[in-house]
Amino acid sequence: MRVAGSPVARRILPALALGFACSAHAAPNDPIAWLARAAQAARAVTYEGVYVHTNGERTSTVRIAHVNHGGEEHERIEPLDGASMEIVRRNDEMYCRFPDAKTVRLDPRITNRFFPAILSASAETIAASYDVKLGKSERVLGHECQWIRLDPRDDLRFSQRLCSELSTGLILRAKVLNGQRQVIEQYTFTDLRIGPQAARADLKSIFRAHGRQWLTDGQPRDETANADTGWTVVRAPQGFQKVAELKRTLPGRAQPVSQIVLTDGVASLSVFVEAAAPPRTVESSSEDGTTAFYARPMGEQLVTVLGEVPLATAQLVARNVARRP
Amino acid sequence: MTQEISSLMDGELGAYEAERAIRSCCATSESAQKWQEYHLISDVLRGGRPHPSGTAERVRRALGAEPAIVARPRRALDTTFGRVALAAAASVATIGVVGWIGSQGGADAPGAMVAKNPAAVQPVAHKPAAVAVPAPTADVQDYLAAHRQIPSPDLYRTVTNRAPAAPAAAR
Repeated sequence: MRVAGSPVARRILPALALGFACSAHAAPNDPIAWLARAAQAARAVTYEGVYVHTNGERTSTVRIAHVNHGGEEHERIEPLDGASMEIVRRNDEMYCRFPDAKTVRLDPRITNRFFPAILSASAETIAASYDVKLGKSERVLGHECQWIRLDPRDDLRFSQRLCSELSTGLILRAKVLNGQRQVIEQYTFTDLRIGPQAARADLKSIFRAHGRQWLTDGQPRDETANADTGWTVVRAPQGFQKVAELKRTLPGRAQPVSQIVLTDGVASLSVFVEAAAPPRTVESSSEDGTTAFYARPMGEQLVTVLGEVPLATAQLVARNVARRP
Repeated sequence: MTQEISSLMDGELGAYEAERAIRSCCATSESAQKWQEYHLISDVLRGGRPHPSGTAERVRRALGAEPAIVARPRRALDTTFGRVALAAAASVATIGVVGWIGSQGGADAPGAMVAKNPAAVQPVAHKPAAVAVPAPTADVQDYLAAHRQIPSPDLYRTVTNRAPAAPAAAR
């Protein structure tokens, strides 16, 4: 498959116009409309900036530039910590470049959600699992910002706080709170430019910059989002829908690992099923920030659940994995 | 040939033979070495100082061929500051490693860590009581990367970077 030629980032001005067109003001007192607008803004608005992500004991800094070009999303993401790399996303195709290894790799976007695009379902779907309210408005990073409060209707998920910029709806800050009202995960822009001037220079596509053609390696696509793994989650927790089912190649495994992804529109979790070699007999679990990890042996299989949910939810899901009838 | 060199050094050769001996003496490294050795022997026998040039060069070359030993001078450790800094660094590293293990959520054999370093109690104790059994910490990273689609060379399929064909290269 030829994935890219040259004219990817021809001119981005139309996209900028679109970005502004989407900045119509939301109804002042409808929290659902605010939520819908925040989700839409992450796709449609042109912006460029740096954000800090803290989850439990991990902190990372990321530079992001985003443009909507004629209905196509173009995004460039560069983690500023650790090994040098960049991700260029065109809609759901993610290309990752590792300068040190001089390689580019391709992955279809399935579960990946980079801030501020953290909402993956419609506002109505999210509202089925969360009580959505408007909080106070305050000034964040020089922008007027409206807090949207998402409190779970059960104890299967965490509380969310989203700060939506007044004129565009873009989320400038997001917090996740546990049952004790402690902040356990936070995203915040530390530097942000919104609008036409923002992302022009930063979005020079890597395809263009290198004047080369990037071709996939022609491997069979076993990692499709709709593979039949033969496994299913019976009685998935309230509000969680399956959004992907695939076979993943994980390091050090001879056989592909089955992965089922569930989301409630904000929080998501992955169920992994694989042949346990050697067979394990003990369960294991851990929690850090919003990330819960739970693994349990099931016959000759090992079931692992990892996601941004309370540990009890991960355990509940792991116990409800069964062969598809 | 060695006889020639010897004779040459002793001034026993006529002009023609001398020229031939000198030429042959510098023709191979083996004879050149002989030449150097004979000079060294004769210098020592005469009680004079050994001829410096060849020896020095050989020593230098031999040193150059030795693998470089990259190590801090021992003197740095002899200072009080050096010792204190090293001890502090070791402590920080220990706490860091233990803290990191704790942060991985693994809590792998917490009892052993506590026994080793009392400072480790805190990060491990911070972990929720839900951690019942040691978790395979390395595994968590794999699943986390797969779940969040964190770019990693293991998970991303390689895409060939092919330079355009010759005519296209001109563009």
